[in-house]
Amino acid sequence: MSARANSAGNRNWRFTLTLKSRETLAACAFLAPFMVFFAVFVVRAVVEAVRMSFYDWHILRPMRPYIGIENYIELINDDVWWISLQNTIVFTALTVVGTTIVALAAAVAVTRPIRAQSFFRVLLYMPSLLSVGAVGLIWVWLLNTQFGIINYGLSFLGIRPVNWLGDPGLVIPSLSLTTIWWGFGFPMLIFIAGLQGIPEQLYEAARIDGGSNRDLFFYITLPLLRPTILFVTVTGVISHFQVYGQPFIMTTGGPGRSSYSLIFYLYQIAWTAFRMGYGAAVAVCIAVIMAVMTSIQFIVLSRRIEY
Amino acid sequence: MVKRLSLILTLALLVAAMLVISMPMSTVAQDAEPTPIVGAFGGGETKISYWNGLTGSDGVTMNEMLAQFADENPEFEVTSEIIPWNTLYAKLQAAFVANQPPDLILMHASEVPQFANFGVLMDLGPWYAGNGGWFDENDISAITYSGMQYQGVTYAIPLDNHGRGLWINTDMFDAAGVDTDPATAPDNYEDWVTLFQALTLDANGNNAADPDFDAENVVQWGYVVGEWPRVNFLSALAQHGGEMVSPEGQVTVNSDAGIAALQQTKDLVFEYNVSPPPAGFDTWQGFASGAVAVIPTGTWFRNFAVDQTDINGMAWPQVQFGAQPATWFGIHAFMLPASSTPEKAEAVQTLLQWISANQGTWAGSGQVPALLSVQASLDAVNYPSNILLGQTFTDYGILDYTSTVTQEMYAALDPELDGALNNLKSVEDALNDAAERMQQVLDRAM
Repeated sequence: MSARANSAGNRNWRFTLTLKSRETLAACAFLAPFMVFFAVFVVRAVVEAVRMSFYDWHILRPMRPYIGIENYIELINDDVWWISLQNTIVFTALTVVGTTIVALAAAVAVTRPIRAQSFFRVLLYMPSLLSVGAVGLIWVWLLNTQFGIINYGLSFLGIRPVNWLGDPGLVIPSLSLTTIWWGFGFPMLIFIAGLQGIPEQLYEAARIDGGSNRDLFFYITLPLLRPTILFVTVTGVISHFQVYGQPFIMTTGGPGRSSYSLIFYLYQIAWTAFRMGYGAAVAVCIAVIMAVMTSIQFIVLSRRIEY
Repeated sequence: MVKRLSLILTLALLVAAMLVISMPMSTVAQDAEPTPIVGAFGGGETKISYWNGLTGSDGVTMNEMLAQFADENPEFEVTSEIIPWNTLYAKLQAAFVANQPPDLILMHASEVPQFANFGVLMDLGPWYAGNGGWFDENDISAITYSGMQYQGVTYAIPLDNHGRGLWINTDMFDAAGVDTDPATAPDNYEDWVTLFQALTLDANGNNAADPDFDAENVVQWGYVVGEWPRVNFLSALAQHGGEMVSPEGQVTVNSDAGIAALQQTKDLVFEYNVSPPPAGFDTWQGFASGAVAVIPTGTWFRNFAVDQTDINGMAWPQVQFGAQPATWFGIHAFMLPASSTPEKAEAVQTLLQWISANQGTWAGSGQVPALLSVQASLDAVNYPSNILLGQTFTDYGILDYTSTVTQEMYAALDPELDGALNNLKSVEDALNDAAERMQQVLDRAM
């Protein structure tokens, strides 16, 4: 009697779940492992970083006094922070624009029906496989004032050696150039996928109407790639705003502080001075700036998006 | 068809560019023999983990010594990890917090205050002979012994003195008619300038003192100011009677002595044209390729100069721009974590006794053994640079300023020196800005 009642109860319980509820449960079950790790290793770390930013927190010092917003006040008055922010914005702007243009051009080139298409795709993607250490060392030598192959090539044009990494006006563009060469492979793949999603009929119709290749690119390809461009630029800004390895390896922030980036400065604060509280304040401000910039990108580039 | 061909041609050019770009890396990979980052020596029951930052050829010498120790002491196994210095200090902080430090650490003596201040280092005073131990403090210079201490406690056993001197290209000296005998080295700024001018040549063979000298087309530099400017500045500052921090706790890098020291160095670039600006100039490769006559470097340069260049060279004492000689030097010193067990400390002590007894072998790294008796026993044929520079450290060497925030103060000073020497700032502005930031750091630590 009791077993039958339980069985009926179970059956009733099962039938009370709607399809939507069952789907929600399944989704939660699939998401749960990720969410657990996300909560422990990301959310908790973010909360802890925000908390640390209100303390005078030295990693080895047992006393960590609460100091309110003093770290943030110090940050506002810290000229190195502002120099680093300016450098990082210039670097990010140059690199994101450059990477997007080069990646799009490369994607268009290797989407054409050419021989050895796959070979060229793989080849153009290859620099992305290198570590920042290898890329930095290669380009330090390429850009070397005395022995660099780039200056050697320019000498045949009668151009005197250029101090690529030593001239404060050239150092950020040089780091940007390095990063574009290193990083255009992945956005190129994204653009290839985007290009393959554009229906061929649109191009055929435009050609019948007398559209030139230039018209096809600017009035069909580019508008329909807008979601892809949004993705590439948003991820590019997030990635390049956190540049660290290139200035660390290629210039150590110099000349002077001409190539200090925000993360480079953050590392110095946290791991040279061991001021974790102040470093956390810097990290929080970087995160806020990135969130604002990403929001602006979404607002600007999401307009008139063609899905 | 033409378009397709041009597309393929463009892609082919990209391929060629990538291959060319990849060439330097493969060349380096073929030529270099990297020091093993992690080495295990011996296979005994008693295990010692040991961290150091000897990433240069000195790391090779250290590993050879550890292998020899393990051969002679089969009951030990030493695991050595070579980590770049900056990374080592960052890792150590995390290791101490996690209570998992290595059993033995080789650090710079300048790091003693920072770590000792937090109580994470073991008091090694009982290991010194004055307290009944085995290490004779009378066999090291007084300044070296002082570098092992912080607030009256001795935290370290010294391995070496490593510091500044010059390395000269003797062929260039001969060609310029300059005596290579270190005893003839100038003792004032004007004579050094004259020497560097004689050694700086343009593409037409004119030296920097010649009225027809083409400063835009230099093929041989007399000197390079970009080789670790901070320690050169600290040396020159001391030569002018200055100091980084006054006894009252005031940062004084922008004193008259500091301004004179940095201005003289900057003038070598922009006034006398005997040195390139620091940015973008590889000093070591410049010397190795025969583009630099005199490089201010350190004891660690010996093996590079001997093994990796074809240059006929020798060590010279540090330049003297002020009224008195002074040269910066540092100390590699062994330390133990305060959390060491007595058994582990005993094992490490055995290793350190062996290393101290074999410091003569360490001279092969180019560094100057800390023990004066070992310095005295080095033969002049094989170790001329160790002997010459080691004597200068003992006679007029200066150590880093002792504080818990010295490295943070240096992080404020370095970019300002770089900015001044690259003519991005005036000397006064650079040193005033540096002093302001350094004072903030120092005041925070007080």
